[in-house]
Amino acid sequence: MASNDHYVIAGNGPAGNAALNTLRKNDPESRITIISDESVGFYSKPRLCSYISGRIEEDELFIHEDLSFDNTRLRLGQHIQSIDPDQKIIFLSHMEKINYTKLIIASGSKPSPSPYMTQFMPYLKSITDFHEAKTHKQCIHDAQQFLVLGGDLVGFKFIDMLISMGKAATLILYPQAFWPFVLDSDMVDRITASLEPKGIRIMVNDRIQSIQDADGGYQVATLNHARNEIEEHYCDQVFAFSGMTPNIDFACKKGFDIDHGILVNEYLRTRFQDVYACGSCAQIFNPILKVYQTTIGWTNAETQGEIAALNLLGANQVTRLAPQKYFDLEGVKIKTSWWDDTDENPNPDGDF
Amino acid sequence: MNTFDIVIEICGSAGEGTISAGEILARFMSSQGYEIMSFDSYPAEIRGFGKCVAHTRVNLNPIYSPGKYADVLIALNDKHAISQLGFLKPDGILIYDNQPASFHEEDQSVAGMAEPGVTLYGIPLTQLAHEAAGNSRGRNMVSLGAMACLMEIPKDDFVTAIQNRYASKKQIIIDNNIDSFVLGYNWTGENIKKIDEYSFKGTEPAPPEDKLIINGNQSVARAAIDSNISFYAGYPITPATKIMEIMGKELPKTGGIMLQTEDEISAIGAVIGAGFGGKRAMTATSGPGFSLMTEFTGLAVMSEIPAVIVNSMRGGPCTGLPTKTEQSDFNIAVAGGHGDAPRIVLAPVDTTDCYEATALAFYLAEKYQTLVVLLLDFFLSNSIRNIDVPKPINPSFLSANIAPEPDQLNGYQRYRITGSGISPRTIPGTPDGMYFSTGLEHDENGRPAYDSDTHEKMTRKRFVKHGNALDEAPDVVISGDDGDLDIGVISWGSSAGAAREAVDAARAEGIKAASFSSIMISPFPEEKLKVFADRCNTLLVPELNFTGQFADFIINFLQRPVVKLNFVTGLPMASEDILEKMRELR
Ligand SMILES: Cc1cc2nc3c(=O)[nH]c(=O)nc-3n(C[C@H](O)[C@H](O)[C@H](O)COP(=O)(O)OP(=O)(O)OC[C@H]3O[C@@H](n4cnc5c(N)ncnc54)[C@H](O)[C@@H]3O)c2cc1C
Repeated sequence: MASNDHYVIAGNGPAGNAALNTLRKNDPESRITIISDESVGFYSKPRLCSYISGRIEEDELFIHEDLSFDNTRLRLGQHIQSIDPDQKIIFLSHMEKINYTKLIIASGSKPSPSPYMTQFMPYLKSITDFHEAKTHKQCIHDAQQFLVLGGDLVGFKFIDMLISMGKAATLILYPQAFWPFVLDSDMVDRITASLEPKGIRIMVNDRIQSIQDADGGYQVATLNHARNEIEEHYCDQVFAFSGMTPNIDFACKKGFDIDHGILVNEYLRTRFQDVYACGSCAQIFNPILKVYQTTIGWTNAETQGEIAALNLLGANQVTRLAPQKYFDLEGVKIKTSWWDDTDENPNPDGDF
Repeated sequence: MNTFDIVIEICGSAGEGTISAGEILARFMSSQGYEIMSFDSYPAEIRGFGKCVAHTRVNLNPIYSPGKYADVLIALNDKHAISQLGFLKPDGILIYDNQPASFHEEDQSVAGMAEPGVTLYGIPLTQLAHEAAGNSRGRNMVSLGAMACLMEIPKDDFVTAIQNRYASKKQIIIDNNIDSFVLGYNWTGENIKKIDEYSFKGTEPAPPEDKLIINGNQSVARAAIDSNISFYAGYPITPATKIMEIMGKELPKTGGIMLQTEDEISAIGAVIGAGFGGKRAMTATSGPGFSLMTEFTGLAVMSEIPAVIVNSMRGGPCTGLPTKTEQSDFNIAVAGGHGDAPRIVLAPVDTTDCYEATALAFYLAEKYQTLVVLLLDFFLSNSIRNIDVPKPINPSFLSANIAPEPDQLNGYQRYRITGSGISPRTIPGTPDGMYFSTGLEHDENGRPAYDSDTHEKMTRKRFVKHGNALDEAPDVVISGDDGDLDIGVISWGSSAGAAREAVDAARAEGIKAASFSSIMISPFPEEKLKVFADRCNTLLVPELNFTGQFADFIINFLQRPVVKLNFVTGLPMASEDILEKMRELR
């Protein structure tokens, strides 16, 4: 018998898709809607750099979503403006209301530019999603000299990609503001030792003073506070990576408990009975440390999507982080459970 | 070859300016040097809020069909546009109003119903229209502005097109429309991140030439005036009314008369009367009116009086689908009515043909002293194209009556049997040229005669005359490969353009194919078709009726099977559908 439930999943990343597949498997009759404000289907963000460099083709980015079920609907390019958890209504920004019986929020994260960078935003490019990768692909191929403001792990993937493409780059590191962990001086030294032989110049803590258009590229002035020196750089492109923050604007005004992300208990339930949050938009209660923590990385998002779905269907599973493993940040071995150190297709068989 | 092909649809409710926005778009594209074909569909009801769609195809090269699927859909009305989504390409663009007066319930919003793959651009159409002009009337212009910006079309040229469209209106109307367009354009530029790949940038159309932007009805009316028609009688009916409207305006300027009769029977009666009086005359109608006229068509044939009827076909039977296209009056046009009544039938393929076929119709009607039916359809009547200015009508077409020589007036026989079947015809008032004219069978003097010998002789005479008209047929159009063919596509009327495009596409896929069409339908160039058919392994006959009326007609003399491809969707023939069938048959 068809269930009367309408499950809505807000987000079409790994968390949302793991939730979709879990719901599908365990409650095949239910009606499910999955919403994303991106215009393309489910794809691998970890592989975006390989796509830009040309190592893989565009279609190799996309992960097979089984939408063959009559009662599963994918809404792409549709932005959630707000949610009314009391009325159980989602308001889309094209002004459509969607009623749900149960909701999983898996809206991921968005870049969090440091305040000092905002004035330079028109000059700064980034790679946070497929559209940006596609838009910038050509200009990355055309450019020779890059300036990279490297404040996060994605920035390092980007640097690796530039090295593989034979490009020259200057990387400005901000160890104290690095995301998702602070870099100590030992790490910075080891990173420098690893990257400089590959043609990457490392600068630490230098601040941008000005950026101007010049000869089809940019003239950038940086200030080194310690030496009180201004340095001029010419580059073809400036890219900035400055960490991520939960993407939860739509939840801010409507009674959800929010700190950085949407606060959920260890079962990934929000303060509303039928609303769960998972992946990098959620801030999960750690019953041992008694704090709420955000998590990042593909595997964590997947694991949480599955648990949120199971709990929504009545299970009582406590969330767990992906198993710890070493991951290599330019020669620095970091033991972590945040990040899968791979750009291989996270779902090679197309089967979650 | 430089290729660029884009179809833009605007979908709204009657009264929302959908059709005028489409017209501006088409005129603008033409002014830039693009080839265009545009087509509107609108509700049958004169009042109300039915669905309107303005469909415009833009290309760098000549186009022959409107294109089935749109690349861009501009939704002015969510409810109607939802039902149009099936015609948006899977990777198309949807431009919609993202700030309607209130929230849509689930599945009532066009953006919500768009399939994955479609790129959505939400623009606050109503809000911007209010900002620009103080009311929501300019939503259509705001949406055009948004589209132009997204497609990277220069703003200023478009503004000129709007100015030209409203040139005869009050300044405030011109200003409001332009302000709405500009605000839509600027707002989009400032607020929308373009993420699709459609663009007019770098398409480099040919320098604009002196083109005529005209639909089939206008083309027919213009040719009729240029053919020195002096009388038009008619009763308004969609989709032919426009012809009557033009006649009402233009005929008095040349001393002619437009008579609106009480019904179609009167109209054809009056046209035959004018023809009898020696005047070039016509009427234009659609299926329901043509049905009423059939008895009188027999009179034109029997009494050998020139008459031209335009039948712009719509969905039938009965009053049927007044604002939908169909080709289901083939049988009635070629053989409708009682008795053996041969008449000439011409079916133009495109807007240029409409002009040339109309001029030919008057010539043939006059020379062969008979009824000529011009078969258009809703699509051909209403689709707008930018065509080269038609060549002046051949002077011999303008005066085609074969009058008796003075010595033939001695003992004048109006229906004298001649080798050609054409009997010299006097115009009433010619001294010694009096005669009887009747719908009864008659002898060479025109006197009623019912004996078998006379009936046989006179019937043959009428058929000989009809058969001889084939010598005047425009060349058949064969387009595609030479030699032996996998598939030959035989089509007629407005479907022929789609057939031609389908054949081009099929050839690009390695199918050996060609298309065949003839404007002259009755008499039909049978021998030419037989020669073509002999080259073809398979014959495919696409047409817009349920039974394959034309297919059955040609099977009769080809004596071999054909594959029928029939649609009664009310929509123009789509090259995509023919191509699909060709792939299946290859
Ligand atoms: C370039 C790059 C490389 C990376 N490399 C790695 C790597 O090597 N290893 C690794 O483990 N991780 C990597 N990551 C991080 C990893 O991709 C993320 O941690 C993971 O995708 C988070 O999954 P998620 O499902 O929580 O959110 P996301 O994948 O961010 O998905 C969020 C979804 O929510 C939708 N959404 C958000 N807001 C709205 C709204 N208001 N309305 C409608 N829809 C909305 C989005 O459209 C999207 O579909 C990388 C990230 C990037 C950008």
